[in-house]
Amino acid sequence: MRASRLARTLQYGALAVYMVFLGFPLVWMLSTSFKPPREMVEIHPTLIPHNPTLDNYVAAFTEQELGRAALNSLQVSLSSAVLTVLVALPAAYALARFKTKLGTAALGWVLLSQLFPFVLLVIPLFLILRQVDLVNTHAGLILVYVVWALPFALWMLQGFVRNIPRELEEAAAVDGATRLQVLRRVVAPLLAPGVVATSLFAFISAWNEFFFALVLLKSPDLATLPVTLARFVGVEGIARLGPLAAGSLLATIPSLIFFAFLQRRLTSGSLAGAVKG
Amino acid sequence: MLRKLVAVSAALLIGLSGCGSGDDDDSSSSEGPVKLRFLSLAWQKESLTANRELVDKWNAEHPDIQVEYVQGDWNSVHDQLLTSFEGGDAPDIFQYESAAIGEFAKQGYLADLSSLVSSDLKGEISDGIWKTVTFDGKVAGVPFLLESQVVLANKKLLDAAGITVPAAGQSWTWDEFQANAQKLTKSGTYGVAWALKSPTNRVMNLSLNFDGKFFYTDGSKTEVKVGDAEKEIPRRIHDMIYVTKSASPDAVGMGGTDPLPGFFAGKYAMLPGGVFLRQQMVEQAPAGFEWVTLPPIKGLSANQAANPQTLSISEDSKGKKQAMQFVEYFLNPANMARLAQGDWLVPTGKKAGEELITSTGGKQGWDVAVASAGDLTIAPFQTVDGYPEWKTKYATPALQQYFANKITLDQLGTQLVDGGKQVLR
Amino acid sequence: MTTLTEAPVARKPDYKTKARSDRTTIYLLLLPALLPVVVLSVIPLVRGIYLGFTDARAGRNVDTNFTGVENYRELMNDDLFWSAFRIGLVWTFAVTILQFVLAFGLALLLSQPLKFRGFARVMALVPWAMPPVIVGIMWRLVYHPDAGLLNEVLYRGGAEGLQHNWLGDFSTALPAVIMVGVWSGMPQTTIVLLAGLSGVPRELHEAAAVDGATAWQRFRSVTVPSLMPVIVAITTLDFIWNFNSFGLVYVLTAGGPGGRTMLPMLFAYEEAFRYGNYGYAAALGNVMVVIIVALLAVYLRRRLREANA
Repeated sequence: MRASRLARTLQYGALAVYMVFLGFPLVWMLSTSFKPPREMVEIHPTLIPHNPTLDNYVAAFTEQELGRAALNSLQVSLSSAVLTVLVALPAAYALARFKTKLGTAALGWVLLSQLFPFVLLVIPLFLILRQVDLVNTHAGLILVYVVWALPFALWMLQGFVRNIPRELEEAAAVDGATRLQVLRRVVAPLLAPGVVATSLFAFISAWNEFFFALVLLKSPDLATLPVTLARFVGVEGIARLGPLAAGSLLATIPSLIFFAFLQRRLTSGSLAGAVKG
Repeated sequence: MLRKLVAVSAALLIGLSGCGSGDDDDSSSSEGPVKLRFLSLAWQKESLTANRELVDKWNAEHPDIQVEYVQGDWNSVHDQLLTSFEGGDAPDIFQYESAAIGEFAKQGYLADLSSLVSSDLKGEISDGIWKTVTFDGKVAGVPFLLESQVVLANKKLLDAAGITVPAAGQSWTWDEFQANAQKLTKSGTYGVAWALKSPTNRVMNLSLNFDGKFFYTDGSKTEVKVGDAEKEIPRRIHDMIYVTKSASPDAVGMGGTDPLPGFFAGKYAMLPGGVFLRQQMVEQAPAGFEWVTLPPIKGLSANQAANPQTLSISEDSKGKKQAMQFVEYFLNPANMARLAQGDWLVPTGKKAGEELITSTGGKQGWDVAVASAGDLTIAPFQTVDGYPEWKTKYATPALQQYFANKITLDQLGTQLVDGGKQVLR
Repeated sequence: MTTLTEAPVARKPDYKTKARSDRTTIYLLLLPALLPVVVLSVIPLVRGIYLGFTDARAGRNVDTNFTGVENYRELMNDDLFWSAFRIGLVWTFAVTILQFVLAFGLALLLSQPLKFRGFARVMALVPWAMPPVIVGIMWRLVYHPDAGLLNEVLYRGGAEGLQHNWLGDFSTALPAVIMVGVWSGMPQTTIVLLAGLSGVPRELHEAAAVDGATAWQRFRSVTVPSLMPVIVAITTLDFIWNFNSFGLVYVLTAGGPGGRTMLPMLFAYEEAFRYGNYGYAAALGNVMVVIIVALLAVYLRRRLREANA
């Protein structure tokens, strides 16, 4: 499995192209967030501002309550991510390992619920949450996010469960382990990469979700980051680009940090060792 | 690992139940102050400050009518309002625009303000403007900020071409405007940038110059007609782009402020657009760049369709009278002038306009802006049921095709009329 | 069919005796997921589907009548919708396929022991981690005809002739928004495939290598087959999401120029939220669901058969 030098060079080249394509907005936001208004409309935009300024950061924090919005978002997103995984993991295991009519129905439902135009679901959803007094609460929003992330979580996790050789579990079962023990000792560690991918998905989609946060939360104290950032956009899509870029850059970082900690787990291939052992 | 997750989530849940709920609007108890929610769409720094200060001041002076300031944004306000109306949870007072509140009014969500508005406020605003917020005889909102279409120009390029700047009220005719655009066009510079990403409202507004109505109502039946009057504006703009080549074809797909880099770099000499563009001039024009505001262009008249920003009150609000008191206060001449200045728009109130001229000395184009208010009036399309649908489904694609030189003027006319038949059944 | 279809019952008698308790276990495992789904997803969804057979409209105290197939009769002759639907299929297939190919390539790279791998993985997440509100604005600036990043790069690279009014031109508008669609959905796909790659047993690779298989052969015969369940899952979901996404395109072009980027979901959204025709919009949703489910059924059946073979 040793790659030749040429192959390595090509790999680094390809990786560099990918990084530019996917990562350039970070540089752009960084550059824009330090530009004074005049430099945003130059016909030949420059990377490094001529007269860098901190005004955009000051504006972002003084005019809208970004700090509180960030805390709100953090609370909502973390709760959604944890709850989604907790709820989805056992269900995904059941769906992947046992064929039941219920399982087929559930998977079908998962797809259907993602397919139907969600704009048409908003109003009924709103009415239900209103009846149980969860409108204008973070708990209501979290509930919506969990339900929203569940289809992806279930669908993905059951794919990962299927990837785990059944022999492993059977071997453990033969050794006298109960199903719960099998789950905990054998399945859970092997599922770590899938769980990372899923919780990341749940976290980021909650972190960046706009529409439900907009319609479900009325009190200014509860507003999340995306809703708060949108206030820098005005009529006809004209934006106050400086504060928006500053705020957006800061809003991007937590997800990246979250992932930086998790990414090692993504390929913690303990599978090989497990099969041998 | 699993155990850790459970512990974390339990902790989070406990935290949630403690501080997650902000539902404090249970004001059903008859005692205590009336609580009102006010959804504002302010987004410019000055206007944000003005909005918040006015609300704070009101709350300090009126302990029995407390207004909660809620910030919205223009992009999502429609979805937000529609959802909250349907869910029975709408703000008591909200800011929006006449073009959009008509639908809400017809759907029964807005309080009729005709009996609530004081005669003072009524008298401040012209009848033509009141008509833009009156649907089926009901007043759906108080109009307070106007955006007229003016022309911003690069002063140095005008001087170089020997073109004098017309004073406020001394509008160029379309012929003069087109001739001057021609004079300003040379290699590397177009006379004009027409930003036509959303062409329909632009064309509808300006078509009043030539009395182009598009919608004709006979009894209960409304239909779209495209005659010579309606064809004037599209034809003139199209000719500037493709016949005399005095307008840039690249600008056609641009939104309101997209031409600014080219304008500041001298690529476009004139930029027709809303009066709010003056703010971008002040904030973003490079050092040494001189700009002027030219009065609206005129055809048979300088009339334009008015689409004022409005303050409306929900039908479901429990304190309509109190809400109206707040609106009256919020829009008194001094406050209205301040709000207009913060958003670089024209106030609907006469006194507010005068105050604005005094406080700014008419500089930065305020003379032209305030004077242009007199040309703003109602256009037929503004009260037509189904206009939004006609606009999005038929008019916008057809106009985009015409301005991209893909179809002829006659084909444009046919498409607009046929679209009308589909929508106005 | 019993609860345990695939468990090799004969070989493992221990499992058989557990069949009953297994059934209970299954329901216990599924319950936490099903409960919120039923309340917050099933009820609104059923209502949404039902609306498609009524003349529901926005309005205070408006009566809604059951109209049967009326909406669908109208829909059959709605040329604008079908033209949007065709554009939607082009968009969905193009975005999903490009997304998958590019993301698979990136995932393979990121699973190699390269330097800066951790950093690269984090960077790959940027499109997803950015607040959506700025994404559309940024891409408008990238494609800006006068001061856009893309034209600027071409200009500085000496390729001025390639400068273009990307979003304004009728022929480049759709490819330009497809590019943005691919960009914005790549992280999810990459992360999922990367996670999947880590589950490919190393022994299989090593065994194949010992047998003298080339890298490409190993990729074909080891990596792809064992990754198949994950590939099927993510491409299916990507397909659905791409078909359903319209927010970004709305900000970029609002369906223009001349309807060239009008996606069917944008069409349905405007029908519901702009014109207030809930009933008709729901009918559009129902029809789209049926068509997409049919497409997916073909795909899933084939893939799953391959996977189980």
